[in-house]
Amino acid sequence: MDSARRQRLMDAGLDVPAALERFMNNETLLEKFLAKFPADPNHDRLAAAIAAGDQEGALTAAHTMKGVCGNLSMTALFDLLTRQVAAFRAGDWDGAVAMMPELDRLYDGLCTAIAK
Amino acid sequence: MEEQNQHGAGDHRTLLIVDDDEFNRAILDNLFAPYYTIQEAENGRQGLEAILAGPDAFSAVLLDVVMPEMDGLQVLQQLREKGLLQKLPVFLITAEARDEVMREAYRLGVMDVISKPVVPYVVLRRVQSVVELFEARRRLSNTVEIQQSELMRRARQIAELNMGMLEALSTAIEFRDGESGEHVQRIHHITKMLLTDTRLGQGISEAEIELIATASIMHDVGKIAIPDAILNKPGKLTPEEYEIMKTHTIRGAEMLERIHQLRENEAYPYAYDIARHHHERWDGRGYPDGLKGEEISIWAQVVSLADVYDALSCKRVYKKAFDRQTVLEMIRTGQCGVFNPALLEAFFAVEPRLHRLYETQKED
Repeated sequence: MDSARRQRLMDAGLDVPAALERFMNNETLLEKFLAKFPADPNHDRLAAAIAAGDQEGALTAAHTMKGVCGNLSMTALFDLLTRQVAAFRAGDWDGAVAMMPELDRLYDGLCTAIAK
Repeated sequence: MEEQNQHGAGDHRTLLIVDDDEFNRAILDNLFAPYYTIQEAENGRQGLEAILAGPDAFSAVLLDVVMPEMDGLQVLQQLREKGLLQKLPVFLITAEARDEVMREAYRLGVMDVISKPVVPYVVLRRVQSVVELFEARRRLSNTVEIQQSELMRRARQIAELNMGMLEALSTAIEFRDGESGEHVQRIHHITKMLLTDTRLGQGISEAEIELIATASIMHDVGKIAIPDAILNKPGKLTPEEYEIMKTHTIRGAEMLERIHQLRENEAYPYAYDIARHHHERWDGRGYPDGLKGEEISIWAQVVSLADVYDALSCKRVYKKAFDRQTVLEMIRTGQCGVFNPALLEAFFAVEPRLHRLYETQKED
């Protein structure tokens, strides 16, 4: 991983040293899972569930996505999803939905940084 | 050698990772691969089946909570019901470290709850510590077993040594009596045979019979208190001398009573009783207490008959050896005192075998 890519990922909210540590400095394995991230269906599922007012579906998608972000040390998105999952659980639907613009922004930024 | 056994036994170096998410499995796999053979399961049911197929194959199980088919808590519940959580440490790896999940998991007997996303050095250390603890515990129970059998061996040695000392004492006393030491050995055999092979020993355990046979060799220890002039007098004893001779029963019992270590020995109650009462007779005309019939314990009766039989069959300082027919006739007709009819019946039944003890001797 060159320093430019590393910096782009860091800027997008991915804590590269923490992620590498979780993969025991196995960079190949980290890249393999980073490559899978944009194709992960949970972001689309979350958006669709919110559009449909499906509370159960939204919680499941947000929860699964949170797990993936946690493993990849996508700190900013992970923290936001943690708050969103808590909001869904607490029955604060509007509060959870209000987090979506920020969530999309972080998600897109990460996908772009990974793709480059 | 031992070291080999401990590692060879079961080869407890496989880690089972149960998680429906490939990503999570890959992270844990990558983390633990240097230390374990990794086996993966994609849901609770698969994981449970893998464990039940061979619980001893695994060092530990890392278990996700939210999974299709069967969730982590259900797997825990099953393992608990099968009593497997005592020997197989299970870790819950969960993003759901909520109070109710943790509480339930610990109630079921989980080893530890580790939250996701995992922090490598934390999860590694927590799992390794527990696996090492379980391995140490297994080795320890192995060691305890080895030590136990060593203790048993020593206990046997001590028992043999005790027996040896008692024999030495009894034999030394017998030597003074002008005997060879074989008398006590024969009393031991005769007593044991009468109790083991006839109805006389009914209700007496094999272990007790062994104690009685051991006790029997001490029946004459009181003779150490009898002066040489009386003990080794070739002719008939005067009434006064005979009175002194008779005290070997009471003296023997007193001596045994004074040996503190012997008093704690399981054979002591028998030894005391036999030393004191091996000259009592069924009709109450024996000594020292003039006990009658069932008042005399069966073991004291057995030893008294064994003693008479052996004395008659061998040469003694005051008499020659009688031939077998004479011996049996003298016992039958009560010339050495009256014996319990049941005792005599049992004795005559095994006497042909007892007699062989003397045949081999005469050839020597």
